[in-house]
Amino acid sequence: MISVKNLSHSYSNDEKLAVNNISFEVTKGETFGFLGPSGAGKSTTQGILTGLLKQQRGEVIVAGYNTMKVQNERFNKIGVSFEQSNVYSKLTAKENLEFYAKLFDVPTRDPEELIRLVGLEGKEKVRAGEFSKGMKHRLTFARSMINNPELWFLDEPTTGLDPTIAATIKDIIKEQAAQGTTTFLTTHNMYIADELCDRVAFIIDGVIKLIDTPRNLKLQYGQKLIDIEYINNGKVIKETLKTIDDHDRKRIGEIVNNYDIQTMHSKEATLEEIFIQVTGRGLV
Amino acid sequence: MLRKIFSVFGRDIRTSMRDSMAIFIIVMPVVMAVAITLFTPGLNDTTVNLAMLRSDDPSHITYMEQFAKVEVFDNIGDIEKRVNKRDAVAAIVPLESGYEIILQGNEPDMVENYTVMLNSLYELGTTKEETTTTMMSFGHTVPPLKTMLVNMLISMTVMLAGMLIAVSIVGEKADNTINAVNVTPLSQIGFVIGKSMMGGLVAMGSIIVSLLITGYYDINWFMIVLVGLTSLILAFVVGFLQGLASDDVIEAAGNVKMILLPVAGSIIGYELLADKWQWTMYWSPFYWAYKANLLVLSKQADWPTVLLCTGMVLILSLAVYFLALPKIRKGLS
Ligand SMILES: Nc1ncnc2c1ncn2[C@@H]1O[C@H](COP(=O)(O)OP(=O)(O)OP(=O)(O)O)[C@@H](O)[C@H]1O
Ligand SMILES: [Mg+2]
Repeated sequence: MISVKNLSHSYSNDEKLAVNNISFEVTKGETFGFLGPSGAGKSTTQGILTGLLKQQRGEVIVAGYNTMKVQNERFNKIGVSFEQSNVYSKLTAKENLEFYAKLFDVPTRDPEELIRLVGLEGKEKVRAGEFSKGMKHRLTFARSMINNPELWFLDEPTTGLDPTIAATIKDIIKEQAAQGTTTFLTTHNMYIADELCDRVAFIIDGVIKLIDTPRNLKLQYGQKLIDIEYINNGKVIKETLKTIDDHDRKRIGEIVNNYDIQTMHSKEATLEEIFIQVTGRGLV
Repeated sequence: MLRKIFSVFGRDIRTSMRDSMAIFIIVMPVVMAVAITLFTPGLNDTTVNLAMLRSDDPSHITYMEQFAKVEVFDNIGDIEKRVNKRDAVAAIVPLESGYEIILQGNEPDMVENYTVMLNSLYELGTTKEETTTTMMSFGHTVPPLKTMLVNMLISMTVMLAGMLIAVSIVGEKADNTINAVNVTPLSQIGFVIGKSMMGGLVAMGSIIVSLLITGYYDINWFMIVLVGLTSLILAFVVGFLQGLASDDVIEAAGNVKMILLPVAGSIIGYELLADKWQWTMYWSPFYWAYKANLLVLSKQADWPTVLLCTGMVLILSLAVYFLALPKIRKGLS
């Protein structure tokens, strides 16, 4: 669905690269996570893939089309949700979707159904200018599905939404994936990536550090950890110990034999911890 | 493609109707047309109004009635009162030898000339039947001032179409929606045509309504529409450029107003420059459009002249268009 070879991009048209020689493939039906801290080059990459930014160096095939050529009909197969919501503030929610639907040559989804899907029912006739930030964001997200896209670009689909609504959006993405939609998901939220993505790419300073499935990453980089809380001299003490470390394993035995255990959990390293381990940087 | 263009057009119309600035732009020409009608003498007074004394020679009155609208008064006091009313009336009063013509002073020259001439003809004893001279030189049926004002209104309305487009572009920029449209099968050119159609239709509608309000019914409408559509090209280019260059509506309106300067300059040039200096205005498409419209409005237009003028407007506007095209393309992507 997407094939990117040696893509670079500089906003200033010089050696300062926002995206530096990246290559990756996204196969049909896959949910591909593009993860990295702010300023890593995620939106820049999505911009080039969707044709909004002029391609400078490298080769990009998206949904069978070479992005170097201007072929507007390719957008019949593509849906794009933007990081910053962009809907017509003078039009109502429904008018926004109706207008957009008319720009496609393929069968489109019912605007009212989409509005309901993202939890905006009852707001069909309200002008988008009166919407809150999160509501506009959801409308932008809903709009990206209007042409039943085969390939779906989502830039930070859940950022700034409250947990319930974020969960709804996650469910919609899962549902689309189940129906075979290929998704290019840009985010700096590792939990979402972990939950939704078949594979993730770690990008930092315009460079892709690695690409793998979340499971493989955890097996490779994550160590099983045990959190133990026990009482010693009337005080609660907390320790985190690695199950693969001999010294730590002995210590677990000691604690279990000698103290009163309050809680004991095993846990996996999160994608976030792995990201820090791989890149040496946090995700903010 | 056509369906998509109409969608853009429809959306733009709908949005304009919800934007106070756009509504103001749409309504303004009509208000101006009404104002022109109210403050300039009636268009359908095809003759001069005369005031005469009842004591005058009846054959004089009858003679004058053939060529003018005559009102008869009993005494000189009433005549003076009549002449001093707002509309243009000239009085002819017999003296011991000859006649005196009384004017308020603000009448068009034509009223004065026409009255003097008519009276001379009477004194010469010329009758309508035997004269070989035609009165066509007095055939101005519309006060030239009014035609000039209406023509200026047309020029302004055309530029307002540009302003309407600029307002719409600024709105799209504020909502950041151009990006959203750029990831649909709608082509950039379709987007531009849709928006231009909105500006163009509104402007043509305003022009036609304004002409009807001001009473220009029996002009050559094909010519008006042809000149109008041709001069709109430039308004579109200006509208897109200014819309893309401005960050808010006020700024856009200010920028488009700047273009009214060359428009005004061209009109003043046409009206005031001596014939031998007219060529200095040939660079301006506004000059040619104004000239063509003036001929059409005063019913002196022939197709060769109108086509020459529109041709010049077209060539000059297209030159500007092609110069501006890369900038517009870049701004919209
Ligand atoms: N329009 C622009 N002009 C100049 N530089 C830009 C522009 N947009 C982004 N950049 C620069 O390019 C780099 C990558 O930005 P990009 O928006 O792709 O980051 P991102 O990974 O999407 O970050 P975020 O998580 O904050 O959205 C940054 O250094 C940024 O400053
Ligand atoms: Mg971003």
